[in-house]
Amino acid sequence: MSDDPPLPGPLAGLRILELADETGQFCGKLLGDLGADVVKIEPPGGEPNRRIGPFLDDIPHPERSLSFWYYNTSKRGITLNPETADGRQLFGRLAATSDVILETFRPGVLASLGLDYESLSAKNPRLIMCALTPFGQTGPWRDYASSDLLHMAAGGEMASSGYDGADAPNAPPIAPGGGNAWHMGCHFAYVAIMAALIYRTVAGQGQYIDASIHEACALTTEAAIANYIYRGEVLRRQTGRHHASGPTPRTQFRAKDGAYVCALVAGRLNPKYVRDLAELLDTNGMAGDLKDPKYQDPAVIAANTSHIIDDLVANFIASLPAEEVYHAAQEVASPGARCEPRRLSSTTPTCMIAASGKRWSTRSSAAASSIQAKRPSTTALHGGSPDGRL
Amino acid sequence: MSRPRALENIRVVDFSWVRAGPWATRWLGAFGAEIIKIEWPENERGRLPSTTTPQNLEVNLNTSGNFNDTNVNKKSLSLNVRSAKGLEILKRLIAVSDIVIENFSSRVLQKWGLGYRELCEIKPDIVYVSMSGYGHTGRHHHYATFGPVAQAVSGLTYISGLPDKPPAGWGWSYMDDTGGMYGAMCALTGLYHRNMTGQGQHIDLSQMVASVPLNGPALLDFTVNGRGSRRPGYPPGNRAHWPGTPLVNNYRGPTVAPHNAYRTHPGEYNDWCVIVCHTDEEWQRLVQVMGAPSWASSPKFATAIGRLQHQEELDEHVETWSMTFGKYELTERCQAAGVRALPVQSAEDRVKHDPQLRHREMYLEMEHPALGRHKVQNAPFKLSETPASNHLPSPLIGQHTKEIVEGLLGYSHEELRAGFDDGTFWPTKRARFPYMEEMLQ
Repeated sequence: MSDDPPLPGPLAGLRILELADETGQFCGKLLGDLGADVVKIEPPGGEPNRRIGPFLDDIPHPERSLSFWYYNTSKRGITLNPETADGRQLFGRLAATSDVILETFRPGVLASLGLDYESLSAKNPRLIMCALTPFGQTGPWRDYASSDLLHMAAGGEMASSGYDGADAPNAPPIAPGGGNAWHMGCHFAYVAIMAALIYRTVAGQGQYIDASIHEACALTTEAAIANYIYRGEVLRRQTGRHHASGPTPRTQFRAKDGAYVCALVAGRLNPKYVRDLAELLDTNGMAGDLKDPKYQDPAVIAANTSHIIDDLVANFIASLPAEEVYHAAQEVASPGARCEPRRLSSTTPTCMIAASGKRWSTRSSAAASSIQAKRPSTTALHGGSPDGRL
Repeated sequence: MSRPRALENIRVVDFSWVRAGPWATRWLGAFGAEIIKIEWPENERGRLPSTTTPQNLEVNLNTSGNFNDTNVNKKSLSLNVRSAKGLEILKRLIAVSDIVIENFSSRVLQKWGLGYRELCEIKPDIVYVSMSGYGHTGRHHHYATFGPVAQAVSGLTYISGLPDKPPAGWGWSYMDDTGGMYGAMCALTGLYHRNMTGQGQHIDLSQMVASVPLNGPALLDFTVNGRGSRRPGYPPGNRAHWPGTPLVNNYRGPTVAPHNAYRTHPGEYNDWCVIVCHTDEEWQRLVQVMGAPSWASSPKFATAIGRLQHQEELDEHVETWSMTFGKYELTERCQAAGVRALPVQSAEDRVKHDPQLRHREMYLEMEHPALGRHKVQNAPFKLSETPASNHLPSPLIGQHTKEIVEGLLGYSHEELRAGFDDGTFWPTKRARFPYMEEMLQ
């Protein structure tokens, strides 16, 4: 990082009106973190998601919801009730000077208030309006109620995630955590909004976007759909690793300190890889027979896959703390930057993200901070929240 | 009817491979950008190995079903960029392009002499998106990732599963899909900024760092409250809270019960339905849908706290009832009464049985020259003026080499032939596909 003052974000100059609940607030945050002026419009009394925990010091209060904080950096906030005539009039004035409206009301609600895209764009033809809803504006499920868990079920995430029978007999499909159904919907909504903004730079005209969280989730299970479409296969769940049409070797191992390590060994066992692996295991004197030249024969490797993974790799990982395994594996595999590294890394709790020592370390956890923008002679980190918002 | 396209006249030089990068450019292509994949059969990763080739076809560079779905709306230029001639052709292509995107390991393009500085010399306002595992800076920049590695390191794997079990994690490379989304988001954001200011930039995206914020408020619970993820009852499976453990929020909305997956008739592998009640009112609606059984009138289930405290018993009762219906019928009964419920859906369920996805035309058929006619996934958004669409099947490898080299870059047909003879456009010792022979005639 240089000492230069931060550059304005790439979306500086845009104004976004966010009428979004927990389903869409992450999209507003992404836009705001990248420099747009996001005005969050809450109903009088505040968004209901202010009542969702966890709370600062575990004291429930609308201003102490960490869930609300997390998703609402880089925004300004007002309250406005669009169900009153005054509220509608005020909203109309805001819409006339805004670039994008992001809304998550149930289909038809804004139209019933006279705040549909046709009415608003009549006064502001450059306006872009993105309705992000659980199922989109049309179709037999459009009025269905939803939640993060429901989307993970219908979207296919759960059908792909869970346990080997030996690890957890009778376990249900498991919905991955973190509230990612909303993230998936918001990523696609962001993409659609940006496409509309780019088109507007050329055509001068806004448009209406009907985005569906269910469809976003249904699109986010990698090759599961292709496996079915092209081969008729329905994949099965496996502990901590890829769904597959049949059982595959495990990829999670317990380290000496009890943390889990993800080691993607199976599928990569060629002679070159085995030499690298032997070198790694030998750093702790645990290569076993892996340095035997017989392992340069692919047929011998194939016949000993279980021995290599379940004995040698598992024992090596069990002999060291997870952090050591992680760095040793990555360094042996890619000193400097070799192109065919071994894929070993640790599965650690979120506390692996070191605390900065400052209470308000959310600034660098902005999603947009994964993006570094570089221009000649300047480096800037986009993201973060304006001072005082939290 | 010809509709305008949001990214009309935008050209993308696409070095990306495997999944994350191609998933990014897929969406730029759906908006009408011309995506030119730079490919080389000797080190291709994405077409092979293929586990999605139909059983009746030979596995080769052009028959991966998943490659097809991941690479619709693109063209393919086969080019040996490690040769001087290939690099020269590549630079001419970059000079007439808007975006360069790649998901190589950190700094690979730089080593080819195509770092951001050099790209700017070729095209001053280029938008360059690099999608590497850890980013191009930092002491671990050279670490390599696949989706599962990024998920493991960022914490996403750990927060998914049952308490006191190994992490269940994510049953696929979520961070290849989602890393791809961030790649598309970066490219579009950089392009918008360029259109507004005339200035390009290098966007240095890290797949691993992108996955960290997707842990959600768990991060703040640690940084603010000091509550780490290693604690009793966490992660709580599909529940909002694990019985018998401290009553804290687990980052999946309000802390309520019922909130779980329940078996449905006939009890096969994917016969599950999830049911969630956010309020007492929703719980009472579920009681009515269940036919107001006597157990449900017990005072211990009347409040959210009571249902959380007696969650094991609650879930057993609910599942006894849910087992009497198929998952779609159960969903309809619940939703008709305003109860949150949806089926666990496999890929087959989504493609064949989901009435909403069918209505929204999520899967439409497309003809592919080697694979035949198959359904392809569509965009999850509908734009009123510039709809996204799948307008090209995935390219055969090198399918558009002549069109790009002669048509776009202005080389002669003789130069194309010479480039095939000297190994610039295809390895000299590798058999050519019939369409390559055709383009040389």
